[in-house]
Amino acid sequence: MSRVLMKGNEAIGEGAVQAGCRYFFGYPITPQSELTHYLAKRLPEVGGLYMQAESEVASINMVYGAAGAGARVMTSSSGPGISLMQEGISYLAGAELPCVIVNMMRGGPGLGNIAPSQSDYFQATRGGGHGDYRTITLAPNSVQEIIDMMKKAFDLADKYRNPVILMADGVMGQMMEPVDLDDEAPAPEVVSKTWAADGMKGRGHKNIINSLYVVPEELERHNRELGRKYAEIEAREVMLEEYRLDGAEVALVAFGTTSRVCRAVVERARSRGIPAGLIRPIALWPFPYDFIAAVAAGVKCFLVVEMNMGQMVEDVQMAVKGLVPVHFYGRCGGMVPAAGDVLKEVETIWRGGGEQK
Amino acid sequence: MSKVIEVMFKNLSRITIFSGGFGSGKTELTINFALALHEQGKKVRVVDLDIINPYFRTRAVRERLLNRGVEVISPEGKLAGADVPALNPAVWSVLQEHSAEYGVFDAGGGDIGSIILGRFKKYLLPGGYNLFLVVNTCRPYTRDPAGIISMLQSIEKAAGVKVTGLVSNPNLGLETTVETIRNGHRVIVETAARLGLPVVFLGVREELAGDVGIVDVPVLPLKLFMRMPWHDNHNEKTEGLH
Repeated sequence: MSRVLMKGNEAIGEGAVQAGCRYFFGYPITPQSELTHYLAKRLPEVGGLYMQAESEVASINMVYGAAGAGARVMTSSSGPGISLMQEGISYLAGAELPCVIVNMMRGGPGLGNIAPSQSDYFQATRGGGHGDYRTITLAPNSVQEIIDMMKKAFDLADKYRNPVILMADGVMGQMMEPVDLDDEAPAPEVVSKTWAADGMKGRGHKNIINSLYVVPEELERHNRELGRKYAEIEAREVMLEEYRLDGAEVALVAFGTTSRVCRAVVERARSRGIPAGLIRPIALWPFPYDFIAAVAAGVKCFLVVEMNMGQMVEDVQMAVKGLVPVHFYGRCGGMVPAAGDVLKEVETIWRGGGEQK
Repeated sequence: MSKVIEVMFKNLSRITIFSGGFGSGKTELTINFALALHEQGKKVRVVDLDIINPYFRTRAVRERLLNRGVEVISPEGKLAGADVPALNPAVWSVLQEHSAEYGVFDAGGGDIGSIILGRFKKYLLPGGYNLFLVVNTCRPYTRDPAGIISMLQSIEKAAGVKVTGLVSNPNLGLETTVETIRNGHRVIVETAARLGLPVVFLGVREELAGDVGIVDVPVLPLKLFMRMPWHDNHNEKTEGLH
């Protein structure tokens, strides 16, 4: 075990290697390009394959093929590229194929810019592509957590045969923090995938990877089966971190980069006598509705802080059900909320002002 | 300014370029080196040559450096934040200058970031420039002599220019201890000996500079300029992010 200084983007790559992933298909886009640089060098060292495809559409379909053959496989991109991949992601969800998709978010809509953003929350947590489906969505907030979360992401993908999205932004991708790293990459995990199209191997039936159901009754059965699976994920896989919620009367809610800012805000607010605490959803889907509902019973109000015009705040409102006010503070277009500005917002709310969403 | 730093600047070429792997600390070293040179009473301009990474570049602290009397040459206006390999034509004025002015260049990371140096090859004649390889032994791929040498070779190949010295910058960010520095520095000194290159100086965060106890090379105390939005002393204008 060594202590190594890594960028978030590199940690995603190394975390994937440590999780036994040996296949990467992708197309470069800022701000995740260090991830592809890293894997282009790293995967061949461990007998893996890195391929730069001709487009994001090609990448996601290569992921479909590798996942269908039972491999641990991933791709990565940023907003515009992830939008191009949506058809493929829908197919992966429909065919119940495990894979990990990384979205290092940037400012949108459209071409937007390359600065950090959290405006792909709706896209990731609501499915993004066509049809009735969900993608497990994870949002790390430190480089060490990225390393650990990659293993979790692949395990969840395999367990539920579902795409998992790891969502962060340029701040997370570019920031450097020390991490614990195994000196040897572990051998690729052999996960038994009895459904994979990896050769007959004496099997009596053919495994077919498919998302086409021409008979309505059959597709409805498939949709209901997927729904049952999503309900199970919602029941079992909620992940969150709470920080200083004991005695809190103002509960901040933030994920990823903004949760780091809000942690500092909670410290500063507490030192000024404002009882603030923080809820950080680690999984954005499934969302911690029950936990937030329970917190709502004991606090005066919520403040949701995001780098967008207000997306996760809708989930918080669904959880709070109008019991107490839910305020929102957002920066967008690549602007990152400064701890001092969020603190001012907390103080305004505490004095009884502040804008409700 | 300590005597050892004066040693470092003795016979310094007019042009100093910092290269190295992604995240080796080039930008912080460029800034601190330029400021130290400025404090010696030299006229200094910093050139931001990073055209491959849109985050944490010298241009992000342009105003703060200007306030201290050091101009940063980087793409102007909208181009500063655009994801395009744009250069400010003033780069050439720094290279072609024949006065006593010094130019401190911050190249992008790795071989990809060094390709741009080939563009200026005709100004970088042997003896007329310094190309320093910044090495942090806590970074992936430069943790041992073999890795550092391979990084140096790939950068020289991409740049078409020879590295003239190593800059020792072993650190684990905020977790750096004196031990981290001593252990890493030992590896860098060993590598430099193998390469027949000098270790030009050692960069150490200013809080630790007094305790590190390394005397074989000059120590440059570093004031860190790139801050995260949640750091107490972060300039509230999202510095470093674009």
